[in-house]
Amino acid sequence: MNRYDQLIADLRSDYRPQREWGEGRGVLMVIGHFLVGIAGGTWLMASLYGVTAGLAVAYVLAALGALAHLAFLGRPERAFGMMRHFRTSWISRGFVGLALFLIGGGVYLAVTLFAPEGATGLVARIGQVIAAVGTVVIIGYMGFCYTASKAIPFWHSPLHPALYIAFAFRGGIAALLVIGAVTGAAAGAGLLEMWIGVTAAVALFFALEIHGAWSGGNVAARWSVRDILAGRLALLFYGGTLALGLIVPLALLLAPGVHSPVAMALVGLASAAGDFFMKLSTVRAGVYLPLVIPARRQRA
Amino acid sequence: MRLGMVIDLKRCMACYGCQMSCKAEHGTPPGVFFARVLKREEGHYPTPRMLFLPVLCNHCSDAPCVSACPTGASHYAEHGIVDIDHDKCVGCRACMMACPYGNRYFHDERRYYFGDAGPTPYEQACSDRYPEGVVMKCNFCRHRLAEGKDPACVENCAAKARTIGDLDDPKSTVSRLIKERGGFTLHPEAGTGPNVYYLAP
Ligand code: SF4
Ligand code: SF4
Repeated sequence: MNRYDQLIADLRSDYRPQREWGEGRGVLMVIGHFLVGIAGGTWLMASLYGVTAGLAVAYVLAALGALAHLAFLGRPERAFGMMRHFRTSWISRGFVGLALFLIGGGVYLAVTLFAPEGATGLVARIGQVIAAVGTVVIIGYMGFCYTASKAIPFWHSPLHPALYIAFAFRGGIAALLVIGAVTGAAAGAGLLEMWIGVTAAVALFFALEIHGAWSGGNVAARWSVRDILAGRLALLFYGGTLALGLIVPLALLLAPGVHSPVAMALVGLASAAGDFFMKLSTVRAGVYLPLVIPARRQRA
Repeated sequence: MRLGMVIDLKRCMACYGCQMSCKAEHGTPPGVFFARVLKREEGHYPTPRMLFLPVLCNHCSDAPCVSACPTGASHYAEHGIVDIDHDKCVGCRACMMACPYGNRYFHDERRYYFGDAGPTPYEQACSDRYPEGVVMKCNFCRHRLAEGKDPACVENCAAKARTIGDLDDPKSTVSRLIKERGGFTLHPEAGTGPNVYYLAP
């Protein structure tokens, strides 16, 4: 169906799906959120475990995420104007956070990689602090962007920010697993246990969100749940999120014997792919509040 | 002054006059309806009936589209009208996700009503108003208001179902209608403070 016919069909439907974020060029926005989320988590975990390669990977992911965001915009040449309204707009706060991360992280990495003797100096420290502030913002802002979307009841949930923060941690752990496998370094102590714990938290938050949307009385939110669990997004959810993001990594982790680097890399990659599909399906599941005359107002 | 509109659903006969006059006034591209009329069947045999709901931007007093906009492109103009500055908009579409009334449209690419035949002279003349890559919506016909005229949908409503006026003035027709006939807004639970009121059918 072409875009015009699709729009007309959507306007006619009782539960009009949002298609601007997540379909067509809108996929770039989900990719941007996915990459930036992983970048924040990776920077945090790499700082915790002292993995310089992890910091570099986080930086590259954030830069790619920023490019994906720019490519999504209708008018990317005006992007700097997005810093203006950080007092009210979560997108604006995210943009500021990402800029801080790229500037601070860039300074810190440049000193650490190219002038290691200055790694504990003032410039590196300032860069590190700015990057840390940026990290907190980019990990936190995405969920709030969705929660602030009053038109989409399924996203308008206080659990969404918690879910996105947990995703960032899961992504960071997954990235360290892959980096460890590629560089031949042993996985940091407790990393696998942490992956299991964070995965359990993601599953819990998601289950609570689905339960809240289903039982909360909002018909549009229920429609979104139906779309994810038994409708147009079921394949993405069961195939991408559950099978790839949960069952495959668990099967690899529970397999008898020592975990090989290849197995660890696969755990990380499958986990990250699962997170992407989870984000894609929840974004695509958004349907607008229906416009109806309230029942008690239908007669004068 | 807070500009608002009252739509009397008892008078509305779903003729689509508002929708068409808005299209004619603004020359909006295919698929974009600043004013729309929704129809819905209610009830069961032997007493079913059609309900009509004309919708447009509510020019909310606490507009989530304005708060969500990162650039300030969505803003409050004179008399509480919510408008978009197309020169500032980056096309992030956060406002579309924030508007609980689905009244915003993203203009992704130029489209014309007669496809391969290209734009009509009228479409050509109007297309400059709507740059690509930005969001567009109803602005209560600010250009007409500035000339002392009513918005096109009000002027062209054959049933005189629409009234526009100052909601801050308790003596205005809109305030009186809302008070006397129990005017209500759509999705009051969203806390947006809509300035378009409806009178029950
Ligand atoms: S109806 Fe929607 S677009 Fe209009 S002011 Fe309210 S929130 Fe904004
Ligand atoms: S699409 Fe334009 S008007 Fe809407 S929030 Fe983004 S910058 Fe503001």
